[in-house]
Amino acid sequence: MSEPDSPVGRRGGKIDGLPKITGAARFTDDLTLPGMLHGAFNRSPHAHARILSIDVSAALALPGVYAVLTGADLPTPYGVIPVAQDEHALAVGKVLFIGDEVAAVAAVDQETARRAAALIRVEYEPLEGVFTIEDALNPDKPLLHDERRRKGDTNVLRRVFQKYGDPAAGFAEADVIIESNYDYPGSTHVPLETQVALAQPHPDGKLTLWSSTQIPHYLHRIVSKVLGMREQDVRVIKPDVGAGYGGKSDPFANELCAAALARKTGRPVKFILDREEVFYAHRGRHPTRMTLKMGVTNDGRITAADFKAWAAGGAYASYGVVTAYYFGVFLPLPYKLDHWQFESHRCYTNHPPCGPKRGHGAIQPRFALELHLDKLANAIGMSPDALRLKNCVEPDTETSNGLRITSVALKECVDKVLAASGYLEKRGKLGPNRGIGLATSAYMCGALHPIVQSEMPQSAVQICADRSGRVSILSGTADIGQGSNHMLAAIVAGRLGIPETDCVVLEADTGLTPVDLGSYSSRVTFFAGNAAKMAADQLYAVMRAAAAEKLGGEDVVMLGGKVFRESAPEKALDFAEAVQLAEERHGTLGFVGHYKPPKIGNRFRRQSVGPSPAYSFTAQVAEVVVDPETGFVTVERIWAAHDCGKALNPTIVEGQIEGCVYMGVGEALAEEQSYTKHGLHRAPSILEYKIPTVFETPEIITIIVESNDKEGPFGAKEAGEGPQLSTVPAIANAIFDACGVWMNEAPFTPDRVLKAIERRDREARRASFDGA
Amino acid sequence: MLPLPTFSVLSPRAVSDAAQMLTDHPQARLIAGGTDLLPSMKYGLFTPPTLIRLGGVSALQEISVTEAGGLRIGAGVTLRAVGRDVRVLSLYPALAAATRTIATSTIQAMGTLGGNLMLDTRCAWYNQSTFWRGALGGCLKCHSAPEGAICHVAPKGKGCYAAHSADTAPGLLLYDAEVELVSTRGARRVAVAALYGDDGRDWIRRAPDELLTAVILPPPPAGRVVHRKLRARGSIDYPLLLTAAAFDPDRGPRVVVSSVGPRPVELGGVAEAWEAGGVEAVAEAAYKQVSPLSTHVWPAPWRKKMVRVEVRRALEAAISGV
Repeated sequence: MSEPDSPVGRRGGKIDGLPKITGAARFTDDLTLPGMLHGAFNRSPHAHARILSIDVSAALALPGVYAVLTGADLPTPYGVIPVAQDEHALAVGKVLFIGDEVAAVAAVDQETARRAAALIRVEYEPLEGVFTIEDALNPDKPLLHDERRRKGDTNVLRRVFQKYGDPAAGFAEADVIIESNYDYPGSTHVPLETQVALAQPHPDGKLTLWSSTQIPHYLHRIVSKVLGMREQDVRVIKPDVGAGYGGKSDPFANELCAAALARKTGRPVKFILDREEVFYAHRGRHPTRMTLKMGVTNDGRITAADFKAWAAGGAYASYGVVTAYYFGVFLPLPYKLDHWQFESHRCYTNHPPCGPKRGHGAIQPRFALELHLDKLANAIGMSPDALRLKNCVEPDTETSNGLRITSVALKECVDKVLAASGYLEKRGKLGPNRGIGLATSAYMCGALHPIVQSEMPQSAVQICADRSGRVSILSGTADIGQGSNHMLAAIVAGRLGIPETDCVVLEADTGLTPVDLGSYSSRVTFFAGNAAKMAADQLYAVMRAAAAEKLGGEDVVMLGGKVFRESAPEKALDFAEAVQLAEERHGTLGFVGHYKPPKIGNRFRRQSVGPSPAYSFTAQVAEVVVDPETGFVTVERIWAAHDCGKALNPTIVEGQIEGCVYMGVGEALAEEQSYTKHGLHRAPSILEYKIPTVFETPEIITIIVESNDKEGPFGAKEAGEGPQLSTVPAIANAIFDACGVWMNEAPFTPDRVLKAIERRDREARRASFDGA
Repeated sequence: MLPLPTFSVLSPRAVSDAAQMLTDHPQARLIAGGTDLLPSMKYGLFTPPTLIRLGGVSALQEISVTEAGGLRIGAGVTLRAVGRDVRVLSLYPALAAATRTIATSTIQAMGTLGGNLMLDTRCAWYNQSTFWRGALGGCLKCHSAPEGAICHVAPKGKGCYAAHSADTAPGLLLYDAEVELVSTRGARRVAVAALYGDDGRDWIRRAPDELLTAVILPPPPAGRVVHRKLRARGSIDYPLLLTAAAFDPDRGPRVVVSSVGPRPVELGGVAEAWEAGGVEAVAEAAYKQVSPLSTHVWPAPWRKKMVRVEVRRALEAAISGV
């Protein structure tokens, strides 16, 4: 499908890349409006407390202060998931974590707003905190959300249990069964740009809100709901965004308070979070304790699995209900597994709320399962790659839990990554303290079901061809740096045979652009890409028909900015001429396309989380060096092969794979949301929260594998999240190859690795003593 | 970005002017590179009404050879300039090496040698925002802490254990360097070994009206001095443990360990240990003497184990360099 000079499949920078590297791009904080005020929060210093009184008089008396809001001003609860409406813009009645927003101030500048916020006097009655999974499961502990109170209630937001096939029978078939506990830490996204919102009230009572969001559509709905406004009176615009990774997929207090303060003061209000506040806004990876039991036959067939997970999710639900399902539903993928069950618990604790982070809900079970596979391979004396390939899911099949699998190029990914890394030659032979490890994974290309149930399209794109030959593309998609603007332009331009730079993309303005549900669940390329393709197909048909009439033949092609008959390429129309011809015949050339995922029949009616129109596949190999005296792990190289269906732009796909690997390395080596026993974040700064620097970042060798999905736009699937799933377990398996210790607990900090090595040596000494 | 508190700036041109300003403005703080001072002020650790900016005092920017054949390095010389100076590189390589491990190359271009020696002690419970320290209830080092604030590192203790984190200090100590302190009352010299105190709140033995003007290095010792920095990542981080080792074939080894308490400590019993069992025995003696506390986010028991490893590695490098 991809022609040589088509933008589809062509390497190169993003259409909106230059403004970002030259500084011309405008992020929300770059926007300034006349008379603009600035917001600041008063936050809770208690992890769990009842609010007895709030005195805002000193704050209001400070010169330069325009308004103060408390929970009483915004009493409507909300939450991104309809079944978990447990948040308020400002605390109502209780505070649930250190950093919870209690009051918001609008003042003439940020310093005044901060000073005023500090003058607000709040009287608290401290309550016992819930800080561990044990606390959360204990019915004698206080409930964070009082409204949940029924006899025997605990702080479990959602428990999910699913069983497929006959696990007992599966375990009976196994020759080897291994059971282990695993711990995966909480981690946060650390986007370069913190959350920023700017709200402008209009004289007619309407409101415009600019925000650094991944979900303009859901933000639009929730701002309207919380402010009690008609949705058609609220316009949400997402300017350029400095990354999100899932951390901007919820509505945030700064957005709601900017809007409410703007309405109250009649002035524009900007509300920016500082870096520490982003650690409190959080919505990152759930710290998860897991147990996994799996059985294999001696010839390497996985016969059964039993998985349990408990997540300490923080003070609010966010996407936590969905997380509880993701923990289990993706567990077997990318392998065939007939007999298995899982049980997951997503708990409330008095910490900043967890939510979706790149690879949402799938990272933790993947870590456990991929380590487990290496343990099983070891136990039956099979090579880890052979065990994986033997159980690999096949194209055009259905998993035991009813997921429809279409294109799969995992075997090719494994073959390529083994060949490139020399895994087979290196494993076990790199000498002491140097090792190599493999892991594979799969991820969805968009959640099949929308967050708010509806039969309407989940993505829409509107295109319009101008007589100049320029094509405008309007879409509600949210480009947060991942390249969705370029993706839309490449698809439309690819269909019409013009350079993508002749397209103009206007996105994420709920006042102008047709709806898209947002940048989450790796859905945008598949969903919005198909919508763009549908719109472009219509324009293509109309232009082609007009050109065929003019050129006197049906064999018309559109390529390289020209429109011509294949049999007579010398008589070519310019694209702009062809547009004009078509406009004469058809009228103004505007078309809309949309995407509704196919109705995929699922044998399991309860399975609304997990189904996706397609899945991406990844194989990775990591090579590491371990310092046995300090415990420091150096990841030297990672080879990452990813089946993205079709690389619409290989440069951008490689960038996404590299970003995933980088983030995985951070989670593997050091990143951890760590709290004191009183629930205070121990390191809410990017000095002490240890994301990798360039020195910790390995050489990354990316390998793109194309399976050309039948339903993907030009065959494309996702590349923005899936590649992260393999990174952490590949590193863990490499550490085992290096020094013979299983790192069942991440991150693999020097402290943990050294303890594991010391334990290994103690056991070896004991064994040799016993043997003697 | 966090806003800075409001302050005024004085810009002296001569050391004597700076000393006079420091006498006239007892609440003032000196600022050179500002790479640690300004972030600390954004965190509200202190809010001086006045900053005395030393960048305009040209006398502080010079490196010269002393009559004794050592070096005199002005306190205002940037870390980058120290690290690239051919005299420092050839005579005091451990000092040059230390400057290159500080923060990042951009911060090395701003920060100064004097600023590094005057770096405040650091603690995971202290170097946090105003809000954070408020939620904690403050600590002994917090000037704004409420009544009854405790040390979170040693809750029953009366002292502050915040960690000395100046990367250049251990090496300078082994080079037997001195600093020059100047006030309107005159100038005096203090050995780096005697510059620091035992309490993290009052970690520097400098009178409030004194400014550090220069580091004076005697001619280098016979053997080699080696600097090692243990840190979480290959850049930006403050030390988890600093080790400097010197080895003189005639006089034996010397070892300094820092970032484990309010001052760099030259270990005792090193000569005896060396005589008894060489490098391993020195490392073991260090392990027994040094007990890091929970002043860092990374765990203290692991840092204690690292004392043995880092001392051994530093000493081995010093010996092999002879």
